Amino acid sequence: MCCNENIKERIAGSVQQSSLDLSEISGMKFFDPHVHMTSRTTDDYQAMADAGVVALIEPAFWLGQPRTGVDSFTDYYSSLIGWERFRSSQFGIKHYCTIGLNSREANNEKLAEQVMEILPHFIFKEGVVGIGEIGFDDQTPAEEKYFRLQLELAKEAGLPVQIHTPHRDKKNGTTRSMDIALEQGLDPYSIIIDHNNEETVKEVLDRGFWAAFTIYPFTKMGNERMVEIVKQYGSERIMINSAADWGISDPLAVPKSAALMKRSGISLADIELVTYRNAITAFAQSGQIDEKDFEQLQPVDQAQKFASNSILRGGQQPRIDKNSIIIS
Amino acid sequence: MNLITGQNKYTLKNLINQLLNRCLSAQSFEWISTKSALIEQEEGAVQLSMTFAQVSRYAPKIQLDRDAPEIEAIGSLVPGCDPSNWSVATLCRIALIMRIKDVGAELYLRKISGLFTAAEMNELVALYTALPFLEHSTQWIARCEEGIRSNIGIVLEAIMYGNPYPAAFLPEASWNQMVLKAFFTEKNVEAIIGLKERNNSVLQSTLKDYIEERVAAGRIVQPGIYTLIY
Repeated sequence: MCCNENIKERIAGSVQQSSLDLSEISGMKFFDPHVHMTSRTTDDYQAMADAGVVALIEPAFWLGQPRTGVDSFTDYYSSLIGWERFRSSQFGIKHYCTIGLNSREANNEKLAEQVMEILPHFIFKEGVVGIGEIGFDDQTPAEEKYFRLQLELAKEAGLPVQIHTPHRDKKNGTTRSMDIALEQGLDPYSIIIDHNNEETVKEVLDRGFWAAFTIYPFTKMGNERMVEIVKQYGSERIMINSAADWGISDPLAVPKSAALMKRSGISLADIELVTYRNAITAFAQSGQIDEKDFEQLQPVDQAQKFASNSILRGGQQPRIDKNSIIIS
Repeated sequence: MNLITGQNKYTLKNLINQLLNRCLSAQSFEWISTKSALIEQEEGAVQLSMTFAQVSRYAPKIQLDRDAPEIEAIGSLVPGCDPSNWSVATLCRIALIMRIKDVGAELYLRKISGLFTAAEMNELVALYTALPFLEHSTQWIARCEEGIRSNIGIVLEAIMYGNPYPAAFLPEASWNQMVLKAFFTEKNVEAIIGLKERNNSVLQSTLKDYIEERVAAGRIVQPGIYTLIY
């Protein structure tokens, strides 16, 4: 596993403190359309805000282990539109989410039925920008059943769909997901196919869907490969995300990739589309994204906490000086 | 005993409707009027749950116009209530809640509890702001206490600011908890209704401890706290 490197360094006594330099993208704004913030710390929020992430989408997913009752789903969906949104707002980051039953837990049919019943209570909530992440994991009949039912729900509600593509048998799974979406009568322009790679991107774009790429170390895309994809396919209907979660992942994947693209000679206009604008265009079809909510960067200002008039913000989180060994 | 009954409740509903008419577009006002009628008639809570969530699509994201005459009228009708802090969305949601027919405590409580369970932040603000207007007032004490445990600033403020429910119904222990939390989270304590009237010796002794703790840690003490102790 990847973690062993750290332990070896620690044993050798050779751990070096170093810091990340993102100065070449300073002033740029980023939108991360797939990141699981409930699994992340306030340090991550602070680092994302500092790196220029102004808004994000948190798709509903599985929690690393299966839930045993419908109330756990209710509380999870409720936390995405409640506590997590509030946490994010304290760092000046606008938090949206997509709501859905993930593919793994669709295999528990008894529970899946109950989850389908509570979904209509959440999909019309403010800031819910789509149904997601849904799709295939093992490509079982149960997964297909709940995938289709949720596509139907999205069509009725007029919401975009964020589709997770499987790790195993990826190419077939991706093709099949698109086939099913079209069979259900959805417009490909309202569908974001996620976790693409070199093998899947061409078909996704050719068929008129949005192609999202997850920059995630070791298991999904690396950003050097991403640079090559943008060079080859351009920036139309392509977006990148971090999909950062409870695994070894990187909530700064979007700004870091922007820096790498800039260094690799990709135009600023293309970088903006891939790291910001395309995600907004795709998910704003929900009618739930108002750019005014994040287009002006909110400075982190401790004084705002005392002004008390910022009724929609609920006060800003005071910044801690990470470079000081003093904790007050 | 409810805070508002009989004729006053009727007047309040009218005032709220006038305010809605004042601050919503013609299209949104028609939408909420139609939906309100459906909510009033339905036995279940499907219309209620959907409409409650969809308010954000119809209400402009602004505060109420503070000069609207209905605001003062509501304040006189329900002493301690201050609608000048409400958003238009909160007003809409309160209007919807007030249209739920009380055909029996169990059903009424279940409908509103369902809204709490699936509520996002702005919906929670509306629900806690609506506490003084709900039927079966004493049944909402546990909900109010739960709200005081929230760490979300605007939710706390919905309970603490311009809301007569806590002073009228909270038992001493949870009242004290709310006041202490207001100081702890640096709220505008002046906006709490009944602060002086419900002051008590247990609260005073807790606040004294709290001051000593702050001083020992070298942190500031809000000056307002001393007016409750001396």
